Amino acid sequence: MGLRSYIITRILLTIPTLLLLLSMVFLIMRVLPGDPVALHFEKKATPEQMESMRRALGLDTPLWTQYIEYLGGLVDIGYILEHGYPNLGKSMQTFEEVGGQIFSAFPATLELAFYSMIIASVIGILLGVISSKSYNSILDHLIRGVGTVTYAVPIFFLGIVFQLIFGVYLRWLPTGLRINPAVDPPATITGLYTIDSLLQGNLFKFFESLKALLLPSLTLGIILSGIFIRMTRTNMLETLRLDFVTAAKARGLKESTVTYGYALRNAFLPILTMMGLQFAILLGGAILTETTFSWPGLGRYIVDRINFRDYTAIQGAVVVFGLFVTLVSLVVDILYAYLDPRIRL
Amino acid sequence: MMEKIELSIVVLVLIGIIVSSGTMYYMTTVVDNLSTLTDDVSTLTESVTNLTSTISDLALIMSEGFQEYAEAIAALTARLAAIEAGLATKETLIVGTTDSVEKTLDPAQAYDYFGWCILQQIGGTLVSVEPGSPKGSDFIPDLAVNWSSNDDLDIWDFNLREGVTFSDGTEFNATHVKYSFDRAIALIPSIPEGAPAGLGYDAIIDRTEVLDTYKVRFHLKMSFSPFLGILASRSSTIVNPQYAPIAQINHTTADPRASTPVAFAGPYVLSKWNRVAGRDVEIKLDANPNYWDLASGYPRMAHVIFRFYSDAATLRLAIEAGDIDMAYRHTSPTDVLDLEDNPNVKVWWGTGAAIQYFCFQTKRAPFNDTRVRVAVTAALNRTAVCDTVFLGLSDPLYSIIPPGMLGHTEAFQKLGDANYTLTTSLLAAAGYDATNKLVFDLWYESSGHYPMSAEQALMYKEALEGSGVITVTLKSADWAGYKQNRDSEIMDAYIYGWYPDYVDPDNYAFLYWAKWIHTNYYNETINGLPNPSYPAYLQQVALYDEARATTNITLREELYAQIDEIAVEQCSVVPLWVGSGWAVTTPPIYGVFLDITQDMRYWLIYK
Repeated sequence: MGLRSYIITRILLTIPTLLLLLSMVFLIMRVLPGDPVALHFEKKATPEQMESMRRALGLDTPLWTQYIEYLGGLVDIGYILEHGYPNLGKSMQTFEEVGGQIFSAFPATLELAFYSMIIASVIGILLGVISSKSYNSILDHLIRGVGTVTYAVPIFFLGIVFQLIFGVYLRWLPTGLRINPAVDPPATITGLYTIDSLLQGNLFKFFESLKALLLPSLTLGIILSGIFIRMTRTNMLETLRLDFVTAAKARGLKESTVTYGYALRNAFLPILTMMGLQFAILLGGAILTETTFSWPGLGRYIVDRINFRDYTAIQGAVVVFGLFVTLVSLVVDILYAYLDPRIRL
Repeated sequence: MMEKIELSIVVLVLIGIIVSSGTMYYMTTVVDNLSTLTDDVSTLTESVTNLTSTISDLALIMSEGFQEYAEAIAALTARLAAIEAGLATKETLIVGTTDSVEKTLDPAQAYDYFGWCILQQIGGTLVSVEPGSPKGSDFIPDLAVNWSSNDDLDIWDFNLREGVTFSDGTEFNATHVKYSFDRAIALIPSIPEGAPAGLGYDAIIDRTEVLDTYKVRFHLKMSFSPFLGILASRSSTIVNPQYAPIAQINHTTADPRASTPVAFAGPYVLSKWNRVAGRDVEIKLDANPNYWDLASGYPRMAHVIFRFYSDAATLRLAIEAGDIDMAYRHTSPTDVLDLEDNPNVKVWWGTGAAIQYFCFQTKRAPFNDTRVRVAVTAALNRTAVCDTVFLGLSDPLYSIIPPGMLGHTEAFQKLGDANYTLTTSLLAAAGYDATNKLVFDLWYESSGHYPMSAEQALMYKEALEGSGVITVTLKSADWAGYKQNRDSEIMDAYIYGWYPDYVDPDNYAFLYWAKWIHTNYYNETINGLPNPSYPAYLQQVALYDEARATTNITLREELYAQIDEIAVEQCSVVPLWVGSGWAVTTPPIYGVFLDITQDMRYWLIYK
């Protein structure tokens, strides 16, 4: 199979994956107890008004009709062209466009995920390599221990520890939010505060947003680094035993060249796959991190909306999460196939 | 011949010499000139080279200079921004909260604590409750300077303050008052859950009449003594017709105008309202340059910024870290008691008005039997819950009207706390004993809508089962499921809460029979049979209406006491506890009033 055929096949496979995910969320939400209509009323509503609200929310039709209508909205090209995002319906509580709500929250999650992934990769790969190089030494055991602990420690716990140390006691960094509470956020261009403040040439806001980003991304990055440490170490140990490494050493190449230029390069392929898989965990972790650090992203949005039985909002957010994870997996798979032609065979 | 030849040769030689000399001289001159020219060219080239080099150097210097200049400018900008931010903090109050505006800041719809809180900062009402008023019944002028009513309490006149303008400069007069109430009532059918509907504007107000430019009259449908309380509530905020269409809700979160200033007549204007994904992330208030009370120095702070935290734990950390100046709603009881020992923060304590109560489903067994309801009520242990779960930050409540307020009694004390003697005797009469225990489900809300619900429920279960004749199964649902269960009336017993719309017993006493609680206590018949509690309900409503129609405080107190007495006999809804109010600030912050109204008047706060 050629690379192009492989890519097309993988893209086509994402469609049923997303459809399955969407169908499950659609059904599960409606099976849960709790009526989104009842949440609009407390005291004075008549049955007629409740029925009218049910109609307004599109909940008066059979389930399959609602499902078909929802799917129809998703593939409405005209809507996509007009708004720049698919028609995910309107929130059942605020009546705002769900697409608009999600895309206003998404940059915060993306920024957090991006920096966390960088931190996780740098810490994980570096410690993994060092650990494999110092095989069976105290340092190796120590790093393995760190890897296990970081993998096991709950996100909110590490987050609170960081908040207490760096926020409350040392007062170096803010304990939450996307920017220092006293500073106005930068005007929205991309929605990523660090990028927007740089684009506007405002170094002060850049540093302030970076300071706010540091603790949540460090928390999430450290938690994720555990798996990278273990993965890198295992792969490096296997690679370092291979003949080509011995040959490279025999040719008198520098130790660092052999380790990072030869061995790590070869050990990197499985790590790359792991990065793709970890992205899903990262987004899941973002939900907890966002709650711990009052980070107004998609994770907090989902938690809020579940409490309101906001079917459309939850469906939309899960679809976007699913789409994002699928896209990252797709890119990783394509990169893997590109780097290792055996995959395409 | 020879001589001629020699002479010719000499002449030719001389000519040759002369020509050669001349040529030589010319050639030398030319060479000299060429040399000079070459030198000049060389000098010129050198000059050009030097010039090029100079220009290059200059360009380099300039480039470096510009870079340094740019860096210096950037550093300066950053420092200026930092200084500006530093200066701004001196006149800015940063408030952290876990609240968020629910849907709108339109007084015709807003009906949530935080929406009302923001409305109070930006809007004006005819009257308001005096800060620190012990009972919440001391009214002071706001947009009205004085008022009067007839003896029947169904006609109320208000003389309005002159010279008041909305924040956009529009002059305020009596037509705005009439417009605001006409609009609120007109919108009730389309917004059944808006505050005007909840407070019953359409049932209370018949019409509003403009008597002259600065005088307005309310004609009420009934004699209604708590009318000032209603006028002081946020749903009575006077709107500017330019921003509030008569038949349309304005300033909702889905409205693009939501982020632009809206012209009310309060101490602040809403200068920024930023929401992400249906939740507030930033609200900024700036001092209203047209506020009528500027001369008295209000608002004290030029700006108030609200920042939104996801839960009580992160809010506590933010105030401890000094990220915010004030944490208000909600830090947990445990946290706030901890913070009392922290020298870097100050905890402000105030009277509470939020209550919780126990509800019985009276339409089926076992709680269709009044004896069983009274028996269970007697077995409850409010003190244990207040001491153990709320660490003393809430007080046991023995009347649906909280302490400090007119009409509060200790009526339910009659049944006692954990009064197992009474419980066992009543249950024995109803056919229950240690071998045939009363078994029922107790429901509580599990998603944080009410504080410490699970812990409370556990304590109630323990107290009830301590009687030896009751078995309780705890069940829970999140707010969405809980409301659905309440409406479908599937819960045997459940815990509910109330937060007042206006500070008056009138806004509490009706909870004993409120239909939206779905106890069925108020129905004439249940399952086709006469409801034995119905006469008691009718009696309570008659007393309630009588209390509404009088300003005689002693009489009102007596009437509410009688309502409580009947409630003790019926036990359809049983008061449990009343909470306290608290706020945490980083010193030095002054001017915080935490009174029974639960209103946070940010315009009084200063550093």
